[in-house]
Amino acid sequence: MTPQQLSIPDILGYLGTPTLDDTLSAALQQAMDTLCAAVTPRSCWQSFPLNRADTGLTLAGLPLAGSDIQTHLQGCTQAVVMAVTLSDAVDRLIRTAQAQDMTQAVLLDAVAADAVEQVCESVVQEIRTRFPNCYLTERFSAGYGDFPLEMQPDLLRLLDAGKRIGLTVTQSGMLVPMKSVTALIGLSAQPTKDARRFGCGHACALCPLRDDCPHRPIPS
Amino acid sequence: MDFSSLCKQDFVFLDGGMGTMLHLAPGELPEALNLTDPKRVAAVHQAYLDAGSQILYANTFGANRLKLHGSGIDPTESIAAAIRNAKQIANGKALVALDVGPTGQLLHPAGTLSFDDAYDCYRETMMAGANAGADLIVIETMSDLLEMKAAFLAAKEHTTLPVLCTMSFTETGRTFTGCPISAMALTLEALGAAAIGINCSLGPREIYPLMQELSQWTTLPLIAKANAGLPDPVTGGYDISPEEFAAALLPYAQYGVQFFGGCCGTTPDFIRAVRQVLNGVSPTRPALEPKSAVCSGTKTVLLDRPRVIGERINPTGKKRMKQALLDGDMDYLRNEAITQTESGADILDVNVGTPGIDEAAVLPQAVRAIIEVTDLPLQLDSSDPAALEAALRCYPGKPIINSVCGKESSLASILPLVKHYGAAIVGLTLDENGIPASAEERFAIGKRILERALALGIPKTDIYLDCLTMTASTDPNGPTETLTAVSRVRKELDLQTVLGVSNISFGLPNRPLLNRAFLNMALSAGLTLPILNPMAEGMMDTVRAYRLLAGMDENCAAFIAAYQNQPTAAPTSTASQSDMTLESAVVHGLRQDAARLTAAALEQQDALDIINHMLIPALDTVGADYEAGRAFLPQLIQAATAAQSAFGVIKQTLAVKQESQSKGKIVIATVQGDVHDIGKNIVKLLLENYGYTVIDLGKDVPPQTIVDAAIAHQVSLVGLSALMTTTVGAMAETIALLHAQYPGCKTVVGGAVLTEDYAQSIGADCYAKDAKATVDFAKRVYKED
Repeated sequence: MTPQQLSIPDILGYLGTPTLDDTLSAALQQAMDTLCAAVTPRSCWQSFPLNRADTGLTLAGLPLAGSDIQTHLQGCTQAVVMAVTLSDAVDRLIRTAQAQDMTQAVLLDAVAADAVEQVCESVVQEIRTRFPNCYLTERFSAGYGDFPLEMQPDLLRLLDAGKRIGLTVTQSGMLVPMKSVTALIGLSAQPTKDARRFGCGHACALCPLRDDCPHRPIPS
Repeated sequence: MDFSSLCKQDFVFLDGGMGTMLHLAPGELPEALNLTDPKRVAAVHQAYLDAGSQILYANTFGANRLKLHGSGIDPTESIAAAIRNAKQIANGKALVALDVGPTGQLLHPAGTLSFDDAYDCYRETMMAGANAGADLIVIETMSDLLEMKAAFLAAKEHTTLPVLCTMSFTETGRTFTGCPISAMALTLEALGAAAIGINCSLGPREIYPLMQELSQWTTLPLIAKANAGLPDPVTGGYDISPEEFAAALLPYAQYGVQFFGGCCGTTPDFIRAVRQVLNGVSPTRPALEPKSAVCSGTKTVLLDRPRVIGERINPTGKKRMKQALLDGDMDYLRNEAITQTESGADILDVNVGTPGIDEAAVLPQAVRAIIEVTDLPLQLDSSDPAALEAALRCYPGKPIINSVCGKESSLASILPLVKHYGAAIVGLTLDENGIPASAEERFAIGKRILERALALGIPKTDIYLDCLTMTASTDPNGPTETLTAVSRVRKELDLQTVLGVSNISFGLPNRPLLNRAFLNMALSAGLTLPILNPMAEGMMDTVRAYRLLAGMDENCAAFIAAYQNQPTAAPTSTASQSDMTLESAVVHGLRQDAARLTAAALEQQDALDIINHMLIPALDTVGADYEAGRAFLPQLIQAATAAQSAFGVIKQTLAVKQESQSKGKIVIATVQGDVHDIGKNIVKLLLENYGYTVIDLGKDVPPQTIVDAAIAHQVSLVGLSALMTTTVGAMAETIALLHAQYPGCKTVVGGAVLTEDYAQSIGADCYAKDAKATVDFAKRVYKED
């Protein structure tokens, strides 16, 4: 990963600041270089059939809990489970910075958040290439809406993500390494763009996540 | 048939994928089948036996308490059934291995699982396997060297079975948690594995260069259990055929690989193909030069040139370090670890021995804190066997123990630990009669220590001798005797040599000059492991120059890397030095300037004046800007970091008086189950800036630990952080427990998922939307007092 792949406006969004002075800009540049040098992003994904039972959708036999995921996957015949991690090296980098220079730690943390997003986007592109005739929904993760965090172990198990990319989940549902994402993407033969669905279609007014979404534009 | 006779064959054939063959239904756990459908598992064993597998891996890969949590399956029952099942099929024609995989949880510091919990979990698994009659144990697919060590020790301490160990590597030659091949080999050979190798993750072509590398680091027989190539995300299938798989494995026979099997995606046809390809092949392996090396879980240090052992983490003669240990201030130790790492140390000595400290409790705690922030291997420094053992258990990798000496009591208590835990050892050349004056006698004691260690099976490459630096001012012949002894140990015994360098100049003026001169002489005499302060002027320079001049720095690369970008002038700051005030340095977040100006101010003013009239007002300015939307989080933290460096200078000056200036004590923690602690650490930074003493319990802290600390320190305020919806429950539980056992104590809570309403509903006294709000609440609490 190179610093050019990162989005400075998005990083500023995570930092909750519209601008940075020269000292902080230089520090951010350094954080971007450091993170890119340390990161070995890993990802895996696999497509599975979706089935509709009386009780709701199942993915490869796994019941998907909550009503929001049902809405999200409307009209989809299969779904991809994807998992991405920046690896333990990034956690270690941020941990070390916290013991030494909190400013650097906060900058690295924001850069890492953006880096995960960028890796997710590249995985989505890969998925698109493998399914040229399908429409893809936005990414949908455990913890969105009423799709519970408790689904996390099942999603990892479907992918065997521990063996394949070293991604694990704690008993309280937290991904470790920390800078990691799992998500579902629905695949359908018909267009699925629908702002009622979760995930960023940049339709904030209609999005149920608008109140605490880190990606929404900062009110100026 | 038993394992040792099987090992006399050129090649031993393992089995292939189990999950692949079981055709599991969605959500079906393989370990459940041992009890519900053993015939399905038996059919797989039978197929592998028919294909020529000589060791069958029982269906126990995930049969551990942590992995099976919530499944309703009892690991011991599942294991007993699995071993019985496999043994019936094997029927004396093959051996049956207890197959042990990861817990699925990452150990501290990457995750939340403690070494002890991992060990307990594996102990149950290992005992169940041994009781059920397994012929051997295989521990496989490990990524974290510490988890591997927990499993290995559980096997070694509770069974007598041979243990095979394999880990999973990525193409970079490291596991997912960053363990290099060399560190796996060094650690597991020293611990006593019967064979080691690589399984899963990659196909045989990708693993080949990794196996070549592995053969350079161990004399143990090697194991290869590759996947059937790489998986396809759409079909879920793997991409190479049995014939391709076998052909790719053929060259492995020239690198010491004796055990051949398959992992994900492989079937009995793969094993058949491998047997066929290796039929008639004679195994060989490249000659291996014996070498000394130590490692952490993520870094190996080869002792092929002088390597520096950083001495800073040691309270002897260091007031500030002593105070930090008494206060349990692990951040101070972490900082010393980081600074020494950045200064170029290769190994860090860790010594926590000081009156009032329970070494057996604090040494492992210090080790855990230090490995959070550095990759460097550690030297565990204590004369207390209990402290050493506690630290050895939870240390990932192969450490150095400092030290054993020629006394019988020391030899008898320390050397068995070295052997059991697979460490290297420093032998001090002194005995019951004290430190001999002559080189001759020190050499003789060293030789005796060497012989005793060798007799226990500790390899020569892991035995280092310290011929003891004597103070030059007390004995004019001291330095010469020490150097003569070093030189003889190096030449005649061919061992690594250790010396604490700076003792030479004790009691004399211009110590740095003497230290450097002695270091030069000692390196020339054959010193390979100087213990020194890597930040002290000229010491690292001397070592780097010596390495270059002694032909140990290929192409002068390390020297050039260290010095080519060295700035010619001191770093400049944005404002000119003369007109900058301490306040503006803090407001603008300039750390070095803040520290420099504080040191200058301390010459004329009282520390409290500086804090109350310069630092706090500066922080208030930034705080007000933050609240008004003129400054944002990064600026706030930057200012706080600058203030922190100013406080660091003040603390250094009055290491003892700090208690009297504290505005109050506050316990803070990230609640149990939660590992996101950056927010909590920002709060800590700000609270400390405002003069509060923060007792930071870290992350993933159980409710009772928090309450106990609040009571022990008699605090009026506890701060709790939680990031996830799944962990706010632990927050509620902590508050309830606090109300029950320590009523009257106030609580402030924060974290991404919390809201004002939720905070109220769990009984918190304050919801802090950010770090600044926590400080404001702390001010209210401590004014009410």
